[in-house]
Amino acid sequence: MEAMIAAGAAVAEDDQFASEFLTFTLGSEEYAIDILKVQEIRGYETPTLIANAPSFIKGVINLRGIIVPIVDLRIKFRLGKVEYTPFTVVIILNVAGRVIGVVVDSVSDVLSLTPAQIRQAPDFSGSFDTKYIVGLASVEERMLIVTDIERLMTSADMELIEAAAE
Amino acid sequence: MSIDMSQFYQVFFEESEEHLAAMESLLLGLDVGSPDQEQLNAIFRAAHSIKGSAGTFGFTDLAETTHILENLLDRIRKSELPLRAEMVDAFLEAGDVLRSMLEAHQGRGSVDAAQVQRICERLRRLSDASSEAAPVAPVPQAPAGDDEVAVRIPVDTGQRLYEIQFVPTEIAAHGVGLENLLDELRSLGQLQIVRRGRPGDESATYWELRLLTDKPREAFVEQIDFIAENGAWRITEDTAVAADGSTAFGFFPESPGAPDEVRGYGIYPNVAKEEEAYGFFELLPTSVSDKPDEDAAYGFFEPLPVAEKPAPAEPQIEEGDGYGFFAPLPPIPPAPKQPEPVPDAEASTSAPGRSGRSAKPPVSASADSSIRVSIEKVDQLINLVGELVITQAMLLQTAAQMEDSAPEGLVNGLTQLERNTRDLQESVMSIRMMPISFVFSRFPRVVRDLSAKLGKQVELKTTGETTELDKSLIERITDPLTHLIRNSLDHGIESPERRAAAGKSPVGTITLKAYHQGGNIVIEVGDDGGGLPRDKILNKAREKGLPVSEQMSDQEVFNLIFEAGFSTAEQVTDVSGRGVGMDVVRRNIQSMGGRIEIDSMLGIGTRMTVRLPLTLAILDGMSVAVGDQIYILPLSYVLESLQPTPGDIKTLSNQARVAQVRGEYLPVVVLHELFQLDSVWSDFTQGIMVVLDADGARVALFVDALVGQHQVVIKSLEANYRKVPGVSGATIMGDGHVALILDVSAIAAMARTSMQKAG
Repeated sequence: MEAMIAAGAAVAEDDQFASEFLTFTLGSEEYAIDILKVQEIRGYETPTLIANAPSFIKGVINLRGIIVPIVDLRIKFRLGKVEYTPFTVVIILNVAGRVIGVVVDSVSDVLSLTPAQIRQAPDFSGSFDTKYIVGLASVEERMLIVTDIERLMTSADMELIEAAAE
Repeated sequence: MSIDMSQFYQVFFEESEEHLAAMESLLLGLDVGSPDQEQLNAIFRAAHSIKGSAGTFGFTDLAETTHILENLLDRIRKSELPLRAEMVDAFLEAGDVLRSMLEAHQGRGSVDAAQVQRICERLRRLSDASSEAAPVAPVPQAPAGDDEVAVRIPVDTGQRLYEIQFVPTEIAAHGVGLENLLDELRSLGQLQIVRRGRPGDESATYWELRLLTDKPREAFVEQIDFIAENGAWRITEDTAVAADGSTAFGFFPESPGAPDEVRGYGIYPNVAKEEEAYGFFELLPTSVSDKPDEDAAYGFFEPLPVAEKPAPAEPQIEEGDGYGFFAPLPPIPPAPKQPEPVPDAEASTSAPGRSGRSAKPPVSASADSSIRVSIEKVDQLINLVGELVITQAMLLQTAAQMEDSAPEGLVNGLTQLERNTRDLQESVMSIRMMPISFVFSRFPRVVRDLSAKLGKQVELKTTGETTELDKSLIERITDPLTHLIRNSLDHGIESPERRAAAGKSPVGTITLKAYHQGGNIVIEVGDDGGGLPRDKILNKAREKGLPVSEQMSDQEVFNLIFEAGFSTAEQVTDVSGRGVGMDVVRRNIQSMGGRIEIDSMLGIGTRMTVRLPLTLAILDGMSVAVGDQIYILPLSYVLESLQPTPGDIKTLSNQARVAQVRGEYLPVVVLHELFQLDSVWSDFTQGIMVVLDADGARVALFVDALVGQHQVVIKSLEANYRKVPGVSGATIMGDGHVALILDVSAIAAMARTSMQKAG
């Protein structure tokens, strides 16, 4: 919640005010998410299957006594090779009062982006619905897809929350 | 100076609820013909405590209503008025009104002002009407009386009057020391505060008290010396007064004329209009209830009306709490108000000074050694202990893997740790446990009101009120149980005429019983009424198009009444019979992980048995393996497990399967098919059948293997995920992995639908 306010304020008031983003890769694409939504990053462990759940929901793990669902974004967006190695990374997110883990190919780094650096994304149809995309940012030669991870995770598409908001 | 009272509101609400509940149960237990004095006093005290704290916290509506209630109660307990049944009714109704006021103050619901008005009128009328019987009775709004000053001294020789003057030490004046002293003196005899010291005010630090007691001065000298500043105390004995009982009042008359006196009274008219000052009045009552010999104090009045001749005492008629002085007093001067050195504008300042006591009456009222803790704190503790249990299991497992190479000390230590954690877990869980009397206590009222409404005579018997169960369960079981009792009353118990015709006592009995049985709590609601008519239920079911047959067991037939929209009542009353309810009852009980069963014999009675787990936090489970997954089955649903032999399993329509278990065909639920997992077995004879009892319907669940049996800490899946069909929750196993807990009822239902699809 705080993060959202902070981000909103930054856009409205000061284009030079930078926020920090965590970047990760899915296949050949690089994504950036608000670092304040990230609780921790940990290695992949085999989750407990949930019966009749969509394939991208890998199951639930025990995170220090909390039951946390694990979503494989690679399966969800059909990106990259889905394999689980000792180097597979899970980003534990804290969104909308819930703790959710997402599997990504790799976590790259933490970047500061000013709102001026984030440009409107062109409207395209793809696996990744544009409504979850805040914009595109170029850093050196890389193009980052800046994603509203909270909105994505709480959407009905993810089937993570009972009464999902559109 | 003023303290933010809102922080105590919650405590006040809780306490008032408790007082109301206590009052109600006492009222119901009252024998109208010859009420027990002790009970009347207890009822009075409950009403009184509510009034006291309501005033302190500025809930004037509550305080006013309780005040009227209290007036009437007081006259009854002093035997000025005979107790009548209509009074009990009025008291009960007033209790309801007060409860709704409390709820309104908590932001729940609203108060019907007209109803408040009506009940106040009713109480006043009862009080007035009866004043004919007691002609001396004055207006219900009684003269003001301060418990500390308005004490009248009885005619009793052998008593001595002491005048005590002292300057308390700084610490004593600010702390509780002074209050303790006053309490102590009160316990010795009749205490009158002539002058109150005001801490912080240099010119008025000294106190002047008068004490009439039959004790020697040695009894209290030390206490005063302790409280008072070095040597700053003096006790004089006024033997003249004490020697002659009739002049015992001598020290009162001198006061009214004194200028101080007038100023003292002057406060009241103003104050009475100012809301904020309300606490000033209302505070005082609290200290009355603090007085150990409160009742004795009231007793003094009895002889007075005769002994004293009337004297004018206008100033006192304004407002306040008469507590009882007022009733017999009019012919005599109410005890003079001693000068309270409180200027008008600061009328409320005395409140904060004493609010420390009033805010928490229980501290002094009872030597109760319990504390109030928020439920979150307890839950947090329970969660932490749950973690500890998991960690301990993990350690144990690791040590077991080391087998012989584990050092003996480690193994012993772990065994001890296991024992300690188990004890710790039990103790922590017991914090949340509450006696079921919290639920049961409301039923006498329900039965009383309802039987009156239905024109039936019903007696409620309860046993096992001390049986403890989890607080969250207590809250959730109340509604279903109320429903069951209403149901028994309306449908079960017959009218007195019919009962007489059937050769039964015209008074029906509803029994409410609670006890523990193997990790479960069992609550039985029984009646000696007409019983469930099997034929009628079957006919009704056929009408509704439910699949029924004559071959169904009684149990199955009776379970039909839990179907939605099912009612055999000939007549829909406003009590029950609309057919909603029993299905809700069953659903509520199931959502608590419990079950309900019916036993009934036509003409003899019906018994509903509710079985609940002791707690919602821990579950006795059986772990089963399917493929590489482990699932937990709640042990309470497991009847038996067996390895099927070839031929045990038959197919129907080539799709649905049934298993023959002890001559009975049970539907088979294949867990790996239901959950789309890969079983390690391709053949049924290699796996295990677990026979489950899902709400009277038995099913055979096919799993790969049984793993073990253990207590599991229930974790919510929904906190971070969503509800999963067929799964009621999750738990963490000894190895740190998550295992899902199966929802047996849902699985049986899922199997049925898939079977219907197949068929």
